[in-house]
Amino acid sequence: MRQLESEVVGGLFWMAVGLFFALAGVKLNVGTLTNPGPGFFPMIIALILIFSGLLTLAKGLIRSVRPVSGISWKQQALATASVFFYGLLLDFFGFLISTFILMFILFGLLIKGKSRWYRVFLYAAGTALASWLVFSVALSVPFPSPSLTAIWR
Amino acid sequence: MEFLSNILTGFQVTFQPINLLYCFVGVFLGTLIGVLPGIGPSGTISILLPVTFKISPVSSIILLAGIYYGAMYGGSTTSILVNVPGEAASVITCLDGYQMARQGRAGPALGIAAFGSFIAGTFSVIGLMCLSLPLSRFALAFGPPEYFALIILGITLLTYLTQKSIAKSLMVAAFGFLLSFIGIDMISGNARYTFGIPGLMSGLSILPIAMGLFGVGEVFQSMAAPEQRTIFETKLRGLLPNRQDWKDSWKPITRGSLLGFFWGIIPGASSVSATFVSYALEKGCSKHPEKFGRGAIEGVAAPESANNSAFGGGLVPLFALGIPPSVVTALLFSALMIHGIQPGPFLIPEHPDVFWGLVASMYLGNIMLLIINLPLIGIWVQVLKVPQFALLPFILLFCIVGVYSINNSFFDVGVMMLFGVLGYLMKKFDYELTPLVFLFILGPILEQSLRRSLMLSGGSFLIFFTRPVSASLLILSGLVILSYFFFRRQTKAVVEGNAH
Repeated sequence: MRQLESEVVGGLFWMAVGLFFALAGVKLNVGTLTNPGPGFFPMIIALILIFSGLLTLAKGLIRSVRPVSGISWKQQALATASVFFYGLLLDFFGFLISTFILMFILFGLLIKGKSRWYRVFLYAAGTALASWLVFSVALSVPFPSPSLTAIWR
Repeated sequence: MEFLSNILTGFQVTFQPINLLYCFVGVFLGTLIGVLPGIGPSGTISILLPVTFKISPVSSIILLAGIYYGAMYGGSTTSILVNVPGEAASVITCLDGYQMARQGRAGPALGIAAFGSFIAGTFSVIGLMCLSLPLSRFALAFGPPEYFALIILGITLLTYLTQKSIAKSLMVAAFGFLLSFIGIDMISGNARYTFGIPGLMSGLSILPIAMGLFGVGEVFQSMAAPEQRTIFETKLRGLLPNRQDWKDSWKPITRGSLLGFFWGIIPGASSVSATFVSYALEKGCSKHPEKFGRGAIEGVAAPESANNSAFGGGLVPLFALGIPPSVVTALLFSALMIHGIQPGPFLIPEHPDVFWGLVASMYLGNIMLLIINLPLIGIWVQVLKVPQFALLPFILLFCIVGVYSINNSFFDVGVMMLFGVLGYLMKKFDYELTPLVFLFILGPILEQSLRRSLMLSGGSFLIFFTRPVSASLLILSGLVILSYFFFRRQTKAVVEGNAH
């Protein structure tokens, strides 16, 4: 993977975050130093964040300090996406089937080697069933009831 | 006599069967996740926060604390046998612990780690008991100016003691502070940063944030590094350290316990850094420092004691002042808040069962841990053979279900996942997460105490300097900042000088 200048990337990121909070809070009443309003602290802190982000960026541009490399992101991004996908599935399929799909994706990302999909299927089915028994049946966590007619109940 | 009756109250609470069970579950689970690399105590505690909704405040605090000090015991096992730290506070134990295992002395290494932990754990509970009550009585008179000054000192120390760069921890702190503004402003009633999203009106909750940063973040980290583990195959005979081992270790254990306890009180001085400082101290005290790194038992005994007693030390400011000095104490802070208990000087008088129950459970928990860790060591060696990938999806699912069950909303799950990504990236880019959590929790108190102080004084900042406690705390913060320009540069020079 490409090497990233951690100072440059970090500085830019935190400046953006600070800028976002500063702009979004611009309508809040700042008040005065002796009588601060609700917007006083957000503005000060956002400015501190922008300023220290700028310093970090400058430091990174002047002398390249620590390049960060080898941040793997594929598995993490896919896992995150699959969780959001799971949120959509949950309404439609209910807990048991959605969880099986989620677990299938996650184990699929992690398990390598021979008879891979067989093992993935086995682990996913086992985890989905066990968690369904624990969370849905035993602890009765109120998951959305599936809009698909429940044939598995 | 008051003291005795307090402890008696505590043991009455702890010896209720349900609390005994939670204490055991806590320390057992703690040992388990301590042994397993890939998931640490902060992750486990945050994942279990939603579970504690359903049980009493005493039981939940006993359970969560048990996980932490249990992990301190368990972490050393992996360090010694696999040369991979089970959790961050056992990193330094790898140095000499693994060397001892290679020399066939895994037994005494594990033994001294467990006994050291036990001695330090018990010592720190006694310290916690003796220090918290007087300190909280002193803090009862604190008003908004004192709280403002106290938190300022906390932030100063937190930023100053960071192992990364000061700019980085300042940015993380500012970010945590900004996140705490989301929701309704307590003083003016204005909505801040809610963007008309209903899920943001009551503010971000610490639960999805902590579960994201620590739970999901740790899962992501372990995904990135599916390490191959080779367990050191050795005959685990003779777990009891011999007379020479004890002779070598009793001083390091004593020093480690004392250092860890006081180190743990300081905000930002985590149990992780306590182990490093204690290791360095032992190396300095030793007559034969060349043995360190080659299987010196002192190098196992001292840091393993320090990380245990640092936890007891960290509970002192939490219970006496309402200031959590570390991530784990911040999570305990949140657990208490969930039950409507505000940590601070009023906690011990108003909820004596919580404080004394926890104290008593820690005595008991340490004894349980000694039993769990020494005779049952074989089980933990087997646990190490469980492949890591088998756990990660399940941990992630547990996070999702847990955070979903709080409000039955998927919004919280989304927030958790975003913070999971953020936590992963911040770890990778070498940021510390403590300042974020610290300011997210204490930011509102800081802001309100400043604004209330100014209301009290009619807008004059002199109020912070006419009251002796707040004045001395602020002066202390000023000295810490000043000392940066003298000491930190010097230590930096020394470190860089050593590197060449």
